[in-house]
Amino acid sequence: MDIVFQLLFQGIGIGSVYALVALGFVLIFRATNVVNFAQGEFSMVAAFLMVIFSVDLEWPYWISFILSLGGMAIYGALFNLGVYFPLRHRTYLPVIISTIGASILVSNSTLALYGPQPQVLSNLLDFPGFNIGTVYLDTQYLLIIGVTVVLVAFQYWFFEHTLLGKKLQATSQDKEMASLLGIPVATMIMVTFVYSAMIGGLAGILVAPILFVSIHMGGTIALKAFAATIIGGFGDVAGAIIGGLALGVIETFGAAYVSVPYKDGFAFLVLVAFLVFRPQGIFGERVAEKA
Amino acid sequence: MPLIELKNVSVRYGEIEALRGVSLSVEAGEVVTLLGGNGAGKSTTLRAISGLTKPASGEIIFEGQSLTGLGPEEIVRLGIAHVPEGRRVFPGLTAHENIMLGASNRSGVSKAQIDQEADAMFDLFSDIRPFQHVLGWTLSGGQQQMVAVARGLMAKPKLLLLDEPSLGLAPVIVSKVFEIIKEIRRRGTTVLLVEQNARMGLSVADRGYVLETGRLVVTGKPDELWNNEDVRAAYLGGHARTAAKT
Repeated sequence: MDIVFQLLFQGIGIGSVYALVALGFVLIFRATNVVNFAQGEFSMVAAFLMVIFSVDLEWPYWISFILSLGGMAIYGALFNLGVYFPLRHRTYLPVIISTIGASILVSNSTLALYGPQPQVLSNLLDFPGFNIGTVYLDTQYLLIIGVTVVLVAFQYWFFEHTLLGKKLQATSQDKEMASLLGIPVATMIMVTFVYSAMIGGLAGILVAPILFVSIHMGGTIALKAFAATIIGGFGDVAGAIIGGLALGVIETFGAAYVSVPYKDGFAFLVLVAFLVFRPQGIFGERVAEKA
Repeated sequence: MPLIELKNVSVRYGEIEALRGVSLSVEAGEVVTLLGGNGAGKSTTLRAISGLTKPASGEIIFEGQSLTGLGPEEIVRLGIAHVPEGRRVFPGLTAHENIMLGASNRSGVSKAQIDQEADAMFDLFSDIRPFQHVLGWTLSGGQQQMVAVARGLMAKPKLLLLDEPSLGLAPVIVSKVFEIIKEIRRRGTTVLLVEQNARMGLSVADRGYVLETGRLVVTGKPDELWNNEDVRAAYLGGHARTAAKT
């Protein structure tokens, strides 16, 4: 029985990372109606910023952390201006191609700068973990879960209880109408990109000590997060979180009980099963496309 | 000086000329109705005013200021609120939230005050008060229309543009919507109304314009338009002998 709790704990921990990245996915999708294929690079760039500040420059962890998140805010803004904004009046296809291009550009630029060697980032806390009964709780996983809970709570409050949150929702639902009411649509989309880059970056920094920092980490995380959004129901915020957590738990149990080498395969097996049997995801489309 | 004046405005959608040199004006305090059949250019006229569509030529002047080159976000801040065709209520927000967002064009207003003003809107639109915390997409067409008009009024507009408020609504709801337009008029807001329902449209108006395939053809007082045989036959879809005059 203890092994089940142990796996559940680890599954929720890694699932939280997928949930955070999936959340960023969904926010950009809802604001622009386009899937951002460079979403995983948000996590990778943030992890590399951490490597630059805390490993290469040997600055204190917390200062590096704040600088990396600030860097991600700037990155999100530049990403919006360079990748989305010039194409905002076009159909979704040029924008999708543009995000794929950005993904290739960013990961290969990183490869040119750092080479293929994975970088190592130490845990945030010196204290590695403790036992409750026979279940070992790793502090890095606890930290990931804690941060995810706080962020999800913050986001719920922000979207449901602030006027800015309502304006962001209005923008994602009907841009033309939003502009008719005087809501600055371009600014709202900018806010979305900055926020999405920051939570994607946060996920990357948190998972870096577990996964190694490499140019491939973005692709892996993005694929899992993408699967999570489909499992949860595309475009649904709660679905992204539940989907992310479910995926983390499923692959952890799959790795433990079935096969370790096929760990990543379980995510896609579940994804395919959902696409075949319940393409609308767990939560489906709760809001009709047009009222 | 009229509140708003269109001077020779033309609008093109690609090859199609949707408006061909339309000139019209609305005085402060007036309710003016634009009539015409499908594709006559009524909605295009409103879209040109609110900045959703850029005129190919001509000029629109609001309170002495040219609107040329301004986008919808800037135009609504000048005091022109557009309640578009199809109501366009945000489906995933509640009726109350939809109405609150109508004040997005006004700066320096606190959330508490907007909340209070939105509550006050339900005095005028008492039919939707029970549904204020219901998501937009679950509302009926009539309820959505009331939310859309209330949202437009939250902008505290000097000029309210209403596009086909009766479209797709049951007759009893249509009369309710027009009662509200009369009340808006009593409160002194200038209204430019687009209607296919000529009788209802003219019943609340001081003046009317009739558009046909992008051109203004007739203008006048409601009873002049109503009694104009050509207008009735050609543009209002009625026939003098069968339609009773109100």
